[in-house]
Amino acid sequence: MQQTAIPKKVKYDSEYGSTDLLNPGHVGCPGCGAVLAMKFALHALGPDTMLVIPACCWAVIAGPHPQTSLNIPVLHTAFETAGAAASGLRAALDMKGDTKTTVVAWAGDGGTFDIGFQALSGAAERNEDFIYVCYDNEAYMNTGNQRSSSTPYRTRTTTTPGSGKVQRKKNIVEALAAHRIPYAATASISHPEDLIRKFKKAKDMKGGTRFIHIFATCPTGWRCPSEMSVEVARLAVKTNFFPLYEVEKGVKYIINAEGELPVEEYLMTQGRFKHLGDTEIQRVQAMVDDDFAFLKKKTLL
Amino acid sequence: MEIMVSRSSITTTGNNTGAWRFVRPVYERHTAPCSAACPAGEDIPRIEALVSEKKFKEAGEVILMENPFPSVCGRVCFHPCETACNRAGFDDAVAVNSLERFVGDLLDTSDGSLPFEAKEKNGKRIAIIGAGPGGLSAAYFLSRLGYSCEVFESEEKPGGLLRWGIPAYRLPEQVLDREIKRIESLGVKINCSTRLDSSFIETANESFDGVFVGTGLGSPIMMNIPGEELGIGWEVFLKEVKKGTQKEFKGKAVVIGGGNAAVDVARTLVRLGASVTIAYRRRIEDMPAFGSEIEIAISEGVEILELVAPVAIVQNAEQLSIELQSMKVEGQDGQRAKVVNDGDKKKSIVADRVYSAIGADVEDEWKGAKTVSRPGNRSALYNEKIPVIYGGDLVNADKSVTSAIGSGKEAAIMFDILLAEGGSKAGDEEAVKKTTAACQVGDGQSLSFEAYIGGERRNVVEGVVKFEDINLNYFEKTALKDKNSMKADLNGFDEVESGIDEVSAIYEAVRCFNCGICTDCGICSLFCPELSVLTGNEGRRIELEYCKGCGICVCECPRAAMSLVKEAE
Amino acid sequence: MKKVIEGSHGVSEAVRLANVKVMSAYPITPQTHIVEALSEYCEEGLMDAKFINVESEHSAMAAVIGASSGGVRTFTATSSHGLALMHELLHWASGARLPIVMAEVNRALGPGWNIWMDQTDSLAQRDTGWIQLYCEDGQEVLDTTLMAFRLAETVNLPVMVVLDAFFLSHTFEVIDVPDQETVNEFLPEFKPSVCLDQDNPFAMGQMAPPPFYMEMRHNIQQAMMSVHDAYEKIEDEFDNIFGNRYGKLDAMLCEDADVVLVMAGTAASTARTVVSALRKKGVKAGLVKIRMFRPFPVAEMREALKNARMVAVVDRNCSFGVGGIFAQEIRAALSGTESRQKVAGFITGLGGRDVTPEILEEIYEAAQKMEDAPDEAIWVGLNN
Ligand SMILES: Cc1ncc(C[n+]2csc(CCOP(=O)(O)OP(=O)(O)O)c2C)c(N)n1
Ligand code: SF4
Ligand SMILES: [Mg+2]
Repeated sequence: MQQTAIPKKVKYDSEYGSTDLLNPGHVGCPGCGAVLAMKFALHALGPDTMLVIPACCWAVIAGPHPQTSLNIPVLHTAFETAGAAASGLRAALDMKGDTKTTVVAWAGDGGTFDIGFQALSGAAERNEDFIYVCYDNEAYMNTGNQRSSSTPYRTRTTTTPGSGKVQRKKNIVEALAAHRIPYAATASISHPEDLIRKFKKAKDMKGGTRFIHIFATCPTGWRCPSEMSVEVARLAVKTNFFPLYEVEKGVKYIINAEGELPVEEYLMTQGRFKHLGDTEIQRVQAMVDDDFAFLKKKTLL
Repeated sequence: MEIMVSRSSITTTGNNTGAWRFVRPVYERHTAPCSAACPAGEDIPRIEALVSEKKFKEAGEVILMENPFPSVCGRVCFHPCETACNRAGFDDAVAVNSLERFVGDLLDTSDGSLPFEAKEKNGKRIAIIGAGPGGLSAAYFLSRLGYSCEVFESEEKPGGLLRWGIPAYRLPEQVLDREIKRIESLGVKINCSTRLDSSFIETANESFDGVFVGTGLGSPIMMNIPGEELGIGWEVFLKEVKKGTQKEFKGKAVVIGGGNAAVDVARTLVRLGASVTIAYRRRIEDMPAFGSEIEIAISEGVEILELVAPVAIVQNAEQLSIELQSMKVEGQDGQRAKVVNDGDKKKSIVADRVYSAIGADVEDEWKGAKTVSRPGNRSALYNEKIPVIYGGDLVNADKSVTSAIGSGKEAAIMFDILLAEGGSKAGDEEAVKKTTAACQVGDGQSLSFEAYIGGERRNVVEGVVKFEDINLNYFEKTALKDKNSMKADLNGFDEVESGIDEVSAIYEAVRCFNCGICTDCGICSLFCPELSVLTGNEGRRIELEYCKGCGICVCECPRAAMSLVKEAE
Repeated sequence: MKKVIEGSHGVSEAVRLANVKVMSAYPITPQTHIVEALSEYCEEGLMDAKFINVESEHSAMAAVIGASSGGVRTFTATSSHGLALMHELLHWASGARLPIVMAEVNRALGPGWNIWMDQTDSLAQRDTGWIQLYCEDGQEVLDTTLMAFRLAETVNLPVMVVLDAFFLSHTFEVIDVPDQETVNEFLPEFKPSVCLDQDNPFAMGQMAPPPFYMEMRHNIQQAMMSVHDAYEKIEDEFDNIFGNRYGKLDAMLCEDADVVLVMAGTAASTARTVVSALRKKGVKAGLVKIRMFRPFPVAEMREALKNARMVAVVDRNCSFGVGGIFAQEIRAALSGTESRQKVAGFITGLGGRDVTPEILEEIYEAAQKMEDAPDEAIWVGLNN
């Protein structure tokens, strides 16, 4: 009989992925993916972390005065300023001789792709020493689900009613990679091990701008059942709608997972895509295929 | 001057976000399809979970909770569990049967001790007629419930069909002896070479509080053809071999029949040195014997003649000539082909001996049992004041060892209900129904002893875990690698199949989805956005102060061990 | 040590002496000389500080907000469009009670691009919760900047030091630059009142619901009002050490004045000569130079103007539809007094147009002739 390797049984000890830096009692919607993103990130980052949070859902989830849902220092800041405020905070800590603390900017897609893009680009160009996290729920959710430049093609939002958004989603990681920052990566709440690994890697990379783009389901805005939050994110990965990959120094692309499911399986889980007919679904499929093929080409560079 | 800015001084832990909830996640045991299909109602997902954690002894104890014969069943059970296994929809069914043998054989029973304590003796005595799997199982469970059991066996050794009807190359005697010894260690008294007839029941109430009848099928089915008396009955033959009175037979033999008995006889004959032909009236694929057994028989040199029905046996000098009518397929008869005479085409073959193995029936003596069909019929027949319960092949629709074991357990539980509270429940069929329904395993027929005595399985909720209920994201496709399998050589009556080794056992056990039970995998707590899944000494718990009822934990649970229930208004 | 330097460098020298740790700025004429000098100080090691070269004024303010929240002394400088771009964050800085000091060079806003002197940019930010101090000459710029840090850190409000484009920013003057030790005596090491702290983690700047917001705003108002006392004490100390004092406003010959000219910035220097000349002619002219605009020195203004028959306010700014902003503020300040002086508003010198002695004389004469102050501001020096 041949020697058999015993397959791994999925099992996590109760500590894994958890953190005492996040408190329960926060006001995230039931099933909020952005909260899971924070939970996993803090697990990886640990207590020597300071957060800079601009306007976004997380600015609310973090707690209104006099509460906090986070047991680490948090600097709330204006919507478009995460990149700049984090630069300033980092500079202050450096001047105080504090090299231990990791500064983490934590912004939504609106605060990253749109209004905060300039400050982020500026910081990335200066290669500021912090981790910039964009938790992506693909619209302005805090203000009631308006489209952002992260909203995917044909998504229905409150400002793209009817047949949905006409434009495709901006490729933010590509844009950040173009700054030749040491590290840019995508991650998903459905893949905590991958996400945690990337945060640890980013944390250990100290010394430049590290960008992590987390896919974070918004059951409320996407109109999917809250219990499907993780599954929807998983399907995004499994259909290549949101591929998991890393870019080192802006040029070295590494794909972490390759999906094989048709994108329809992902789209049909959510009310925001329910209006799509076959032709549109095929168009989305073609876009996803093209994007993934292009991404794969980049790994060969 | 004090400055007032927005800054935190307290945490959010004072917010009762649990008030948002309108559904609540609960940990719930659901029945796995394998358990529901198991005639002995074993807690298979739990057994495999323990094996996967290398807790072999604990796994064995979980089997013993529901079945006194793990090593026996790990060899001879027809394992409907594997047919029902959800994993089959993913890659291959888990090798549950092989795992049972692996676990059963590792159980240390040298001192005959059991992992659980029997209840204190309650002073009640049960007579058990027949020391086959049904009777011994009834004795085992009754003893654990505090009853004194006395078994009456006509043969010189206990075991019934297990000892006399199953050849040693499939079930070595020492394996059987070991498991019977374990039953005896509970104080069960087995009176061998004591044949009781049905008249015993008339007077049993004088010294017993109940009678279990598990005498099996003692009467061979006749072919009703001329010359039938020239043939030898399968049960007679197999018993002689076991007793050592048949040691060698180098001639040519024909075995008539297509069930496991026919194959057992054929393979036994091969071991005695005979050249063997099985004559069966339908096609090979219609034979009721286990497919694997047929394959092995063929590989051992047994010839199978299909589509022939015996019409006469004729003495032909020193030899016998068997006249056969050719049959042909004409449509389906359920799962099997429907066959009719193929014109008047005939064949005849010559042999030194002819064996008849077309089945067995209830002896006239126990015809009363015919009014009961098991499982599922939980009524007892009464004689005078004491309940009489029939079990095993005598009444089971399914003539199998494991079903017999299940019926013994069912009987034990029924006795306990009927005899409870000074026998006040005697004749109370409702009480039996109600109580047994509460310990029924899933939608199957078997009962859980653990549930009956108030163990954790009592908390199982209705319904059986379906394939769609499994979250396949947490499993990797890993085909079955190894199961009980043929040894290379045919070597007399030595056991022909070898069990699996530890690595394979763990491999297989890891493949198990563990449908419906919490294995403490931690997925629920990993994905809870409210940090509300807590682990403590009493296992997992939901912190309802904060849980918003999002349901992610339930949706992500790999094995359907959680449910969402509506909050009361 | 006396040096002949630009007004801009009066600022940068003060910032260097103030031991600022983090600076961030975005270039805009006429602020550039300030930040160029500071960049050089960092480069040459004259300052142990970090200069963040951000991509916009918005980010400059955000960066110093971040740094100040991190607990270090911060500085930025801007002008005109840059200040307008910062607007949102000016509120943020004061709301967060961060003692940021900013040099703001008064410059006009487009369109018609115009890089020259105009006060509308800074005055338009009057409601952002920043202390505003206006300067007349190079020495005042340096001294005010040093005092600004003390003041900001005392009351936990940001301070804007305002200087005229070119007339002050690019004009070389003799400035006495004090030595580091003396400055250290006046301005000790920064000890933040609130800053992010790893050992005692809390969130700052988060959502403030209705039960809390108003108290926080009331607290800012109280802090603003406490500036009056704080400023006086700080200036006493400054005077003790450096021998200079400027006051919240500077009143000249007001006791018996018929008409008092009021203005801020370098035009006050011109006005001084005009007033002296008028006095020589026997005209009872007076002058008030506004130094502190926020908080508005109501008491001092009332006191200075209490005997004037007519107040002539010279605004190099305009709040369209109302008129000069200083005039508005002065009218409001005087409205509570019994004498209720008449305030005539004059708008002149916008977008870098010179405020010449002739213009000021014209204004004086006009005011002198007035029985009553007109409702509308009079634009002086318009072509054709
Ligand atoms: C300058 C400015 N413009 C607009 C807003 C209103 N606003 C607050 S949060 C938000 C949307 C945030 O979207 P995103 O960054 O995607 O985060 P999300 O709320 O989706 O988590 C908007 C438009 C603001 N706070 N500031
Ligand atoms: S994941 Fe957490 S919040 Fe959601 S239902 Fe389960 S315990 Fe409740
Ligand atoms: Mg968003």
